[in-house]
Amino acid sequence: MIPGKAEKPVLAALVGQPNAGKTSLFNVLTGKSAKTVNYPGSTVEYSTGNILTKYLQNHTLLDSPGIISLNPGSPDEKVAVDILYNHPKFGSPDFLIVVVDASQLQRHLLLVKQLQMCGFRIIIALSMLDTLIKKNLDIDTNTLSSELDCPVVRVDSRTGKGVPQLIDIIKNLSLQNDNLLKPATALGDLTHAQLIGIYNEIERVTSLVINPADDVEPGHPNLARANSQLILLGVQRANNYNECKKLDANSLRIDKYMLHPFWGLISFMFIMALIFSSIFWLAIPAMNIIDELFGFLASESVLLIGKNIWGNFISDGIISGVGSVMVFVPQIFILFFILGLLEDSGYLARGAMLIDKPLSKIGLNGKSFVPMLSGFACAIPAIMATRTIPNRKERFLTIFIIPLMSCSARLPVYALLIAYLIPKESFWLGGIVLLAIYVSSIVFSVIIASIVNRFSNSVFKTEDNSSFILELPTYKMPKIKNVISNTLNSSYIYLKKAGLTILAFSVILWILTYFPNTEPSVPAGNYSTEQIEEMVAHQRLQTSYAADLGHYIQPIMLPLGLDWRVGVALISAFAAREVFVSSLALIFKVTADDATLQQSILLSMREAKIESTGQLLFTPATIIGLIIFFVFALQCMSTLAVSRQETGSWRVPVIQLIVYSGIAYILAFLAVNILRSFGIN
Amino acid sequence: MKTAANLNFGEKVVISEIDFTHPSSKRILEIGFTPGQEIELVNRSLFHDPLAFSIRGSIIALRKNEAASIIVS
Repeated sequence: MIPGKAEKPVLAALVGQPNAGKTSLFNVLTGKSAKTVNYPGSTVEYSTGNILTKYLQNHTLLDSPGIISLNPGSPDEKVAVDILYNHPKFGSPDFLIVVVDASQLQRHLLLVKQLQMCGFRIIIALSMLDTLIKKNLDIDTNTLSSELDCPVVRVDSRTGKGVPQLIDIIKNLSLQNDNLLKPATALGDLTHAQLIGIYNEIERVTSLVINPADDVEPGHPNLARANSQLILLGVQRANNYNECKKLDANSLRIDKYMLHPFWGLISFMFIMALIFSSIFWLAIPAMNIIDELFGFLASESVLLIGKNIWGNFISDGIISGVGSVMVFVPQIFILFFILGLLEDSGYLARGAMLIDKPLSKIGLNGKSFVPMLSGFACAIPAIMATRTIPNRKERFLTIFIIPLMSCSARLPVYALLIAYLIPKESFWLGGIVLLAIYVSSIVFSVIIASIVNRFSNSVFKTEDNSSFILELPTYKMPKIKNVISNTLNSSYIYLKKAGLTILAFSVILWILTYFPNTEPSVPAGNYSTEQIEEMVAHQRLQTSYAADLGHYIQPIMLPLGLDWRVGVALISAFAAREVFVSSLALIFKVTADDATLQQSILLSMREAKIESTGQLLFTPATIIGLIIFFVFALQCMSTLAVSRQETGSWRVPVIQLIVYSGIAYILAFLAVNILRSFGIN
Repeated sequence: MKTAANLNFGEKVVISEIDFTHPSSKRILEIGFTPGQEIELVNRSLFHDPLAFSIRGSIIALRKNEAASIIVS
């Protein structure tokens, strides 16, 4: 370090092809300071972090989605490329750290060459050298560095080897005060001939730098070295270069089964079945525990604070609200965790390849597969993940059907409705009903996708080249630690994003059901305290703002066999479908004294009657109607907002809202009335 | 004219040219399929589409329709 000269804070960006090992290096360099916004299946947003202070001060590092070239092929690549020129928040990076997979040197050097042609200042971080060394080959980094005229560092994110050297180079660059070249945007799009020319040059460079493994360490003569001196240099080099291109034998062997016309399909089905059964076996028990916990907290807080407005607010407004956010964390966590494992192992790309042909028949793409799977956790990250789909029409169609995937917010609703339908003793039957709901949501999404695809030109007003080009990465054991930390991150981001909205809505809903008549008078008489409390609660709700609102929509609820109270719950479910459950609890003034929240809601539901007719409100027919309604209805404002953001206009979300609400209402109406005509009530 | 789309399983061939008129041709070049490179059909998906090729030490899956723009000898 030059004395007296201070490092100036720099902005560096990590760039690289997909699967190059960017994110691992990012994690090593930034440690816990990283703010990642990754969703499994794709790094769809930028992550930023400060380089660990044990290395350097005040230096910011950006991580980015993988790009193949500077000519973006899909929206996520476009984000990554645009930000290299100018990040909306941080400005343009001072230099780029290009992560290059040493075992795929040729294909990864294309990006390096292109970045240099555009005038970017770069450092090459060579990753995955261990894979190359296993083939008894190594890279002569000095020659590579002089051939490419940029610093080259060997890094191993697992052991941290090479990181200090990388930091030294960053330090040196940050000391240079020279004015940076403004990178030229126009060079991003190369002609066919230029691309071939670059590859010819890359082939020349790689033939110079790939050597037998022992060759790079001087002073260790061995047989390989002696042999290489005997054989004509050119021939030997060509051999090294061919050795380097050998495929991973394990991956080929596994793919013999995973991509086999029969066994491939069987293993695909098996993996999907595993994912969905994990929801039943793992998520539901976890949900029940959370439900019980918050039921307990709500009743304890009332005892603690007293049965007044504050006690009511804390238990019904805040604690139930937080509980309704927390209750779907298990499904989100489990799904993201499994998706993370599949992605890290290399299977997701195979899954996408297997399903590309069938999906392309209904206007989708193999790359719709991962976003659709994420849709079973939450539609919001799923819609964001469609950025990896290059074709606009296919991307829009994927966005269109994602709300049909049975997201985690629906699970508590189904759990409640199924519990009402089916006695607790035969819980296995409940599992089958739930499975049927999941399967039918997939079947209907296929049907709706193929219908919308017919009219896609008028719905989406866009058409371009349909394409499926995807690298099948080498199979490897997933790094559990990385997967867990990514999963925690995704769940946390999700909670932050959706959780606050849901909480705010529960509070608003509480206000609507509590005011304006906060202390209603009840007729005097010989009543027990409990009866008086119930009458007060009942009277308060009857005269609340929510009741006024509910009476407006009563006419559209009656054909479904439902009344204004369910209508209010359905409206409030627009915050998130899950809020339906806590709204029912609020509206039916469930007193969570001893039992879990669900049990006490069920109890009140069984007694509820439609006021005008005196009929039972919840019958098997109306419950089935409600389930059907929830399968289709797009009751989630956040989904509409993300759909608007990702498609660039209100057109798609508005069509989604109309189509899905329409189907939901009509099918629920038909179901209720057909069931009734068969005498099921 | 033989293309990568009609290779047999495990068949190794050398790319002679790329059909520049195909809309995906630039991405196909970028991903490493350039004239002179040896490719091998290493896997096929259900219904034999997409196809997976070995190219420059990686396995790349392409749709049959895109593989047809890779002319081989």
